[in-house]
Amino acid sequence: MEYLATIGVLIAIYVILSSSYDLIIGYGGLSTVAHPIFFAIGAYTAGLLAIHSSLPAPLNVILGGMAAMVASVLLAASALRVSGDYLLIASLGFQLGLLQLIKNLDFTGGPGGLTAIPGTVTGAARTPFFLVVSGLLAVATVLGIRAIVTGPYGRAITAMRDEELAFTALGRDATSMKIVIFAIGCGIAGTAGGVYAYYFQYISPDQFEVLQSAAILTMVVLGGMGTTFGPVVGAILLLAIPRAITFLNLPPSIMAPTQGIIFTVLVLLFLFLRPAGIVGLSRKTL
Amino acid sequence: MTAVLRTEDLCKRFGGIVVSDSVNLTIDRGEILGLIGPNGAGKTSLFNLISGVLRPDSGSIYLNGEAIDAAALYRRARLGIARTWQNMLLFRTMTVLENLLIAPRSYPGESILRVAFARAAVREAERHARDRAMTTLARMGLEQTASEMVVDLPFGQQKLIGLARTLMNDGPVLLLDEPMAGVEGAAYETMQRVVREEAEAGRAVCVVEHNVSFIRDLCSRAVFMANGKILQDGTVAELIASSALTELYFGV
Repeated sequence: MEYLATIGVLIAIYVILSSSYDLIIGYGGLSTVAHPIFFAIGAYTAGLLAIHSSLPAPLNVILGGMAAMVASVLLAASALRVSGDYLLIASLGFQLGLLQLIKNLDFTGGPGGLTAIPGTVTGAARTPFFLVVSGLLAVATVLGIRAIVTGPYGRAITAMRDEELAFTALGRDATSMKIVIFAIGCGIAGTAGGVYAYYFQYISPDQFEVLQSAAILTMVVLGGMGTTFGPVVGAILLLAIPRAITFLNLPPSIMAPTQGIIFTVLVLLFLFLRPAGIVGLSRKTL
Repeated sequence: MTAVLRTEDLCKRFGGIVVSDSVNLTIDRGEILGLIGPNGAGKTSLFNLISGVLRPDSGSIYLNGEAIDAAALYRRARLGIARTWQNMLLFRTMTVLENLLIAPRSYPGESILRVAFARAAVREAERHARDRAMTTLARMGLEQTASEMVVDLPFGQQKLIGLARTLMNDGPVLLLDEPMAGVEGAAYETMQRVVREEAEAGRAVCVVEHNVSFIRDLCSRAVFMANGKILQDGTVAELIASSALTELYFGV
């Protein structure tokens, strides 16, 4: 049960990450590979505050999200001033540079990471508690993003992605809109990081490597980029199915590669069968 | 009478190519100014300079007497410089109505804070914009296309939608870049009527157009451009009568 609940928490956190990533790349049309580092900023901020301050845990999680948001605004505002393509390069540099910094600073625990983050909730109720909290956050994220991308705001996002020049010449500030979308997405990732730190009580730099964005991107693409529930389906499938075989009691030397193979086969299968994603409709195949 | 829009010694060059060579242009309230000249004369570049897509190397642009040189593209649109595009630049994945709803000059539903905290105001603005969009479409007899995807419409109707979208910006200046190119039949008549109505309502309209009969029917004054320079500014009849210009333009 404990194992299942942990997967549940992990799925909820990845639903938050993939949904917020989809907001940025799918809806916003912005290229970034820095999602893991904003996840890390939230995790480290919340973790450090939990260790060194006596602030309440929910506040620390929120502060983690806000730290990620502030960092993302600084990155996007400077990169988008140049051009949209520059954001991809800047995000890569930011991702690699900041993670390198985290690995080499003392107060972040260096390569060993941050250990002994206070648990806040203890005893038998701990895992169910985190399952509920992360689950509610995931639901709030998906519904919140849905509220953004439907209605007038979503219409403006679509117009910006369709034809940015015409959009701007109609009096819309595309750059500000991109920064807002980027900041919301990264802030959500940071919040997820805070919950992650509190739940696992241990974070290390290798959990936030740039390759994480490939995993999150796969969830988004597989589920359906630019759809509300696509990233949810993608996160659940790619986390749950490879782990389902852990109940077969295979030795670890076989288990790990098999999980990788299942992940890869799933991705290839769906890319052939549903190129627009599982949730993506045929309207995408215009 | 002060001009609604005035450019003063507007210069722009790309390397050795001069697209705007000390251009002084005025457009008055209620006027439809024709802008003609051969391809590459700098007509569209002039629109780009006025609307803010391009920054001039030197010179100034005044809207109702005030310099707007520092204002970015989106700010000039909010000040009321509305324009269309040669290739329309419609929002291709959206319906006709949605295309129009992106175009009003101010729109509270596109502020994330208002969407979150002032939903009633957003709904009210949305209703108001829908009414205006439907009225604009009705003027062109296109109200029944409102919920169709814009790319599914015939070309002439897409051109009209491009104009309708621009008209959602109710500002004082209207710049039309080849509104008649590829347009014929009923759409042609509609385009002509609507442009005339807009000028009668007091807008300063400038039209880049190769269709000389359109210019002759609509414009009292026209400007002839070549190589980034204004060669002549006068009545349409004068321009057409000028043999030197006819030679440049038509090559006869």
